[in-house]
Amino acid sequence: MTPDQATTVKPSTVPGAVTTFQVSSPDLEAVVRDLAGLRLADMFASDGEQPTLRLVWANDTAGQAGYIITETPLENAEYPALSDITPAAFIEECEIYEQFGIRPATGKPLNRVMLPPHADLPTLGRKPQTEPEEPHAPHLVGGQAFEFPFGPVRQAGVESLYYGLVTSGEEVVDLYLFTWHKHRGLEWRLMGRTPEQALFLAERAEGLSAVAVGWALAAAAETATGTRPPDQAQRARAVALELERLYNHAAAMAALCQSTGLSVGQSAAEIALERLLRLNARAFGHRYLFGVVSTGGASRAPDADAIREDLPGAYGEFRRAADALLATNSFVDRLEATGILTAGQARDLGLVGPVARATGLTVDARQVPGGPYEDETCVAPATGTAGDVLARFTVMLAEAAESVRMVGQFLDAGAGAGTAELPRTGGCGLGWAESPRGEALAWVGLGDDGRITRARLRPASARNWRGFDDACRSQNVFTDIPIIEASFWLTAAGMAR
Amino acid sequence: MTEEELRETIARQFGRSLHIRTLDTGSCAVCEQEIRLLAAPHYDLHRLGFFFTPAPRHADLLLVTGPMIRAFELAARKTYDAMPGPKVVVATGACALGGIYPRDPFTHGTVDAVLPVDVWIPGCPPSPLTLLHGLGVAVGRLAEKVRDLPFTAEPSGGSGGSSPRASRAPERVRGDS
Amino acid sequence: MLWFFRGIRRGVVTTHYPARPDESSRFLPTPPAFRPWALTRSTAGRLEGACPSGALRLQDEDGERGGGRLVFDVGRCTACGRCAAEAPHAVTASGAFELAATSRSVLIKIIPLRGEAR
Repeated sequence: MTPDQATTVKPSTVPGAVTTFQVSSPDLEAVVRDLAGLRLADMFASDGEQPTLRLVWANDTAGQAGYIITETPLENAEYPALSDITPAAFIEECEIYEQFGIRPATGKPLNRVMLPPHADLPTLGRKPQTEPEEPHAPHLVGGQAFEFPFGPVRQAGVESLYYGLVTSGEEVVDLYLFTWHKHRGLEWRLMGRTPEQALFLAERAEGLSAVAVGWALAAAAETATGTRPPDQAQRARAVALELERLYNHAAAMAALCQSTGLSVGQSAAEIALERLLRLNARAFGHRYLFGVVSTGGASRAPDADAIREDLPGAYGEFRRAADALLATNSFVDRLEATGILTAGQARDLGLVGPVARATGLTVDARQVPGGPYEDETCVAPATGTAGDVLARFTVMLAEAAESVRMVGQFLDAGAGAGTAELPRTGGCGLGWAESPRGEALAWVGLGDDGRITRARLRPASARNWRGFDDACRSQNVFTDIPIIEASFWLTAAGMAR
Repeated sequence: MTEEELRETIARQFGRSLHIRTLDTGSCAVCEQEIRLLAAPHYDLHRLGFFFTPAPRHADLLLVTGPMIRAFELAARKTYDAMPGPKVVVATGACALGGIYPRDPFTHGTVDAVLPVDVWIPGCPPSPLTLLHGLGVAVGRLAEKVRDLPFTAEPSGGSGGSSPRASRAPERVRGDS
Repeated sequence: MLWFFRGIRRGVVTTHYPARPDESSRFLPTPPAFRPWALTRSTAGRLEGACPSGALRLQDEDGERGGGRLVFDVGRCTACGRCAAEAPHAVTASGAFELAATSRSVLIKIIPLRGEAR
């Protein structure tokens, strides 16, 4: 970690993928204003004699991609209202208040985000003095608009999720989400565990991104202990990550068809999805790629012959379904101009993944130097411009084609199992991976016995749900909500943790 | 009608047409994906007379995933109570059977801590084939196999499993490079 | 109408399970099967420590040294393979994927140990 830096923090001049700066509490506001041109990737606090506030900023410019972490010890239970400078910080401010009882200085109302009401649950720090507000404000319930709750038990085979829908009839005036009924307290559970033990739970934070979230946590522990995984293991992780991306995009395509009532397309996409899952089972021993990433490397080698044999057929099914869908006007008409997000909205909220790329932002964790993507393949993030459901869908299709190419390249360069042992030392580190729904981040602080003192898990869903209500407003109707939800392809589990 | 006759009638009716309500009490979302695939072309549970329904009033079987997070308990009880009898509760996945989360302030740790479970289906996640077998067991159409499996290997090299396989499953031993 | 012919050309992908076995079950991860002759107390202890789900517990038999058994809760098992990686000579894949049980206790299996303290 580099020593103290004054208020000027210049992102482009620092070498390496991650740089950390100590920023004193009085300087924090000025530093945040300086950095507000970057993307705020995450914000979280840690307990201690003095709670520490960390902000993770991401530079997404090609060629300069990397992260800056600012660490600020908080002397009293307050810090400047960062969400007034960057709206991307609001949800995290609410979360920090719920877990640590620390609030921004302006005293603005904070919503309930992570913890269920009326529950006396263990928190990561000191409990807040007053309960946070229910997030009914701010929205317009004027004129004929009324509010009705929907969920958490929803239609068959989908996760529990609670919407508060504000509507004047068909039109969506406002939409807010609760995921606290799925809060399993993962960050609290990981305290005291070794990184190896933590990985088992981290994979199951958001199982549909098991490789990405596991890789982020493992990389964080590896950075904290100064461990370097073997190159072939890094490539094995990358093969698994691209296979994860492929099956998720096939599942998103199936969900899009289901939401538009196109059963033939849904069946075609599900055939592709099932073939990809069976490929995962043949290649890595698990349909959802659990247990591939290990702390220090990869515990399973991909069956390269099986992948080379099965992937072309599975991807062929995927491609045929996609081409048929794009040629179906009734389908494309439902997607076009639905759920529009502008690049400005995506940037303000710090969104990631295909949701952000479809607005034109080049956000992709694979651009950050130092991993297997740097050596083997050039990642040019696929982007769109319209920011609607159709743009997100076409971005996913372009990414799927790239994933197939990358899998071939990684296998050619040699992908195998192998683990470097993590020493039992103290330290802290940031890890990241590009999950199918966007950048997944993890940060760990390890004590001298090598056990976790603070683990931060931030799957992409924890970032992107906040863009969902913006996408659902603006001239969309009820029946568009499932379509927009399918195009975001997030999980309640990833937000709730 | 005696109890035995009633049981047989129920098994006959359920065995021919069964409506399934799913319930997520806190899963990681992968069990839900496997459950959705039951309706997909490769598995097609409709050919067996099973259907998903969005309404608990219409449902015969409650398929529950997740470790029964305490904050969700009320919704789970309401869903169960809204189902008219006779009804069957199936808990599926390692979360629901206690393998992932313990009994603590956040979660009950198992579904059977709150709901009366009739069938338990292990797996992380249970694959659609495992789920089809479990649903068959729940309606009395398929035999329960795990009762007679010792999970020990024979010296001759067989693995003690009785699944209908064309050949021995490949060994998945981690740590090889 | 093209989708109709495309579907006919691809053929039926639907499984015949449960009427007939399904090939894809070969590649599913399955709970372990143990080799009792290779299960010493110390190996069983290592397996207990390796399991992240608490599915394996080493139990004494009435407190006597040298006795004991490994209690395997199939319900908790995630087929992660850590036990097999810890002691490959003592653990193999069971191949069993039809795991539904009508009582919870049916999923608790007693695996005898080798019987000698090593």
